[in-house]
Amino acid sequence: MIPCKPTSRKLTLFAFFIFIFSGIQLSAQDGKALFQQHCAVCHNIFKPMTGPELMNLEERGPWSDHNKLLEWVHNPAAFMAKDPYTTGLHTQYGIIMTPFPDLTLKDVDAIVSYINGEVAAKNSPKGPTTGVAGEEKPSTSSNAVIFGVISLILAIIALILMQVNSNLKKLSDDKEGILRPEPVPFYRNKIYIAFVSIILFIVGGYYLTKGAIGLGRSEGYQPIQPIYYSHKVHAGINQINCLYCHGGAWESKQASIPSVNVCMNCHKAINTYEKGPKLYDEDGKEIDGTAEIQKLYKYAGFDPKNSSSWDPSKAQPISWIKIHNLPDYVFFSHEQHVRVGKVQCQTCHGEITAMNEVKQFAELSMGWCVNCHRQTKIDFNYDSTKGNKFYSIYEKFHDDIKAGKMDSITVKDIGGLECQKCHY
Amino acid sequence: MKKSLIILTVIITVIAVASCNRVRRTPGRTYMPDMTYSRAYESYASTDALKKEGVFYNARPVTGTMARGDEMPFPISEDKPGDTVNYFASRQVKNPLNVASIDMTEAERLYLVNCGICHGTKLDGNGPLYKGGDGPYPAKPATLVGDAKYESMPEGQMFYSATYGKNMMGSYASQLTTKERWMVIAYIKSKQVKVAVTDTTAKK
Ligand code: HEC
Ligand code: HEC
Ligand code: HEC
Ligand code: HEC
Ligand code: HEC
Ligand code: HEC
Repeated sequence: MIPCKPTSRKLTLFAFFIFIFSGIQLSAQDGKALFQQHCAVCHNIFKPMTGPELMNLEERGPWSDHNKLLEWVHNPAAFMAKDPYTTGLHTQYGIIMTPFPDLTLKDVDAIVSYINGEVAAKNSPKGPTTGVAGEEKPSTSSNAVIFGVISLILAIIALILMQVNSNLKKLSDDKEGILRPEPVPFYRNKIYIAFVSIILFIVGGYYLTKGAIGLGRSEGYQPIQPIYYSHKVHAGINQINCLYCHGGAWESKQASIPSVNVCMNCHKAINTYEKGPKLYDEDGKEIDGTAEIQKLYKYAGFDPKNSSSWDPSKAQPISWIKIHNLPDYVFFSHEQHVRVGKVQCQTCHGEITAMNEVKQFAELSMGWCVNCHRQTKIDFNYDSTKGNKFYSIYEKFHDDIKAGKMDSITVKDIGGLECQKCHY
Repeated sequence: MKKSLIILTVIITVIAVASCNRVRRTPGRTYMPDMTYSRAYESYASTDALKKEGVFYNARPVTGTMARGDEMPFPISEDKPGDTVNYFASRQVKNPLNVASIDMTEAERLYLVNCGICHGTKLDGNGPLYKGGDGPYPAKPATLVGDAKYESMPEGQMFYSATYGKNMMGSYASQLTTKERWMVIAYIKSKQVKVAVTDTTAKK
């Protein structure tokens, strides 16, 4: 961003306001409302969409004459018949613009001055506060380094102190005339050696056991995906519902990974990454979101310059790398947990909305599953309108609850620990 | 001399352990993977091997069949690019569901998951992706409630747009079944009626 002095910024702002309020008395507000109501469905000011971008409109074709523009807006098909410029646009965009016979010359003026105002606002240098907020770099293990260095320093200090201590002792012994054998250096001292080997044994044993238990599990697995697709941008900042893309989680065993056409529902229109914060991969390298969207277009076979001729059936699937993998001998169904059990995705998958690259949050061990089944209470209350009627068959439990013998039912009580629930 | 050597090795190991990259890029190893990997085809797995064996498989339903419990497919096919004949023909199609018996809370859920992100929770065409023109989505989604053009749009035509897409809006046929799409359209229609009614009472 261009560094600019506050005074010059004020000046440009001032010039900008003069520009807006000068000349014809039009409120940009009117223009905005009209533009959004009628035109924004197809036209963006800066980007070509269903129709061309409308910035610098008056410099193209016949549009510096607002009467011509009005005529066009009233009846594009009739205007096109006698105007080669718009016929050319039609061959490029493929459809004929909707007529708006009710708009007046004043409306058109208002729309154009709104567009010009937006263009000027975009071109004037932005203040520092309007830039992208909330940049953050992942602090890769810097904490661990700090702890390591601190403990190292402490260990060295302890060693030095011990040496100083023994030296002082020797000095005082010399002074008092007591003769002692030359002290053994610490690395030949049996106590030290025993101490260090016990520590090595404990630490080594801990890591060995942990490694052995972890065989076949992949907690923290975070592969590099073919497209740097960020859940933080989509599900976090832009609040897209998980089920928009993972709809299967509601009605099947698999949560389902969205196909390319689902991405293109939005990315047909969103072809740049500019509103979100800067993105970094786990090694701290900056990611160019727009280039990543271009990768998506390659898979989809989509040409943003010629969006009307896109053929979705020519798209190639993206080979995402699967992260969560239960062994084949375990059965797990999303529907049972998400829809029936009303368990939040975050319980098992962690704060996905804060992750750029997905990583496996849970260890997916049997102990992890079984623990949750022991602790999770199920909603046993049902009546004719709500609740799960299936649980009505557990008459004994209902009687026990009424009699006050039990206060809640967990998944364990309805067979959640039976081996064949998960293994068959 | 010896002492400094020892101290040096300790320093090096500690730094090596501490600066070890914590990002795990490999899934790790398995010990005796009996029954860990499926011998049948798993979901998402590539089926290229089948093609090599000459087996035809494309994961789509056979043409002319439909899923159990779903509605009859939409009788109108998609327009050729640049054409609008079928788009207008779809105006005649009526909702095959009995609107009174639709579970509107489920229809609302489907709307909020699939459409609300653009068309807004209030159906005002101002969802979190558009945000009055400030959001990242550059096209204005249709103002389903509050714009006469869409209030008077027949349900069949809405269904056409939700099934095949309309200009910048994509097709929702892969995310919603025929029945679910009709449910969502019925939900939109019910909201439009409600607003129209409250408007007339306000004027009185
Ligand atoms: C249904 C989508 C649609 C709507 C709504 C729409 N336009 Fe267009 N517009 C187009 C298309 C498509 C073109 C390209 C010419 C063609 O194919 O008809 C176009 C072309 C134009 C052009 C010529 C652009 C150029 O590059 O020279 C202007 C000006 C224009 N529209 C203004 C408007 C205004 C003002 C409104 C709102 C009152 C509006 N349009 C609403 C689709 C639309
Ligand atoms: C815009 C579409 C989209 C949305 C919205 C979305 N996801 Fe995803 N999700 C994907 C894609 C594409 C992948 C595969 C690529 C990857 O792993 O990053 C994926 C992968 C995942 C994975 C890892 C799957 C594996 O390989 O094991 C999990 C878990 C997940 N998503 C959970 C969620 C949750 C929870 C939410 C809601 C907070 C969510 N997703 C929202 C598109 C989406
Ligand atoms: C519901 C709308 C929606 C869907 C569906 C969607 N995206 Fe996005 N995508 C967005 C928005 C909004 C942005 C942010 C644009 C901005 O901030 O300027 C974005 C940004 C991106 C970016 C750039 C930032 C980043 O994450 O690296 C990539 C790449 C991307 N999307 C890929 C995908 C892929 C792949 C899919 C399909 C799995 C997908 N998108 C589906 C709305 C969507
Ligand atoms: C009870 C814990 C749990 C909950 C709740 C849960 N998941 Fe999962 N998820 C898993 C497990 C376990 C796997 C691995 C499944 C496998 O390998 O068969 C998984 C796998 C996935 C995958 C990888 C693809 C697949 O289908 O195997 C995605 C995507 C996913 N989950 C998304 C979600 C979303 C979105 C939600 C919320 C709507 C959710 N999950 C809720 C435990 C859970
Ligand atoms: C709630 C689901 C659940 C139940 C109930 C369950 N298991 Fe498991 N079990 C799992 C999961 C998940 C794994 C995979 C753990 C892993 O990959 O580390 C597993 C793994 C195992 C393994 C280890 C296989 C190996 O090679 O490491 C054995 C043995 C096993 N289960 C036996 C049992 C027995 C016996 C019972 C009944 C007492 C039982 N399980 C009940 C979920 C369950
Ligand atoms: C990614 C954003 C987005 C999502 C999600 C979305 N729409 Fe749209 N929708 C649009 C846009 C943009 C338009 C305007 C298209 C045009 O007329 O050019 C539109 C227009 C419409 C129209 C009017 C079409 C016409 O014929 O003029 C209907 C009806 C509609 N959407 C219904 C839905 C339904 C139902 C869903 C959910 C299943 C949905 N939309 C989801 C962006 C979206």
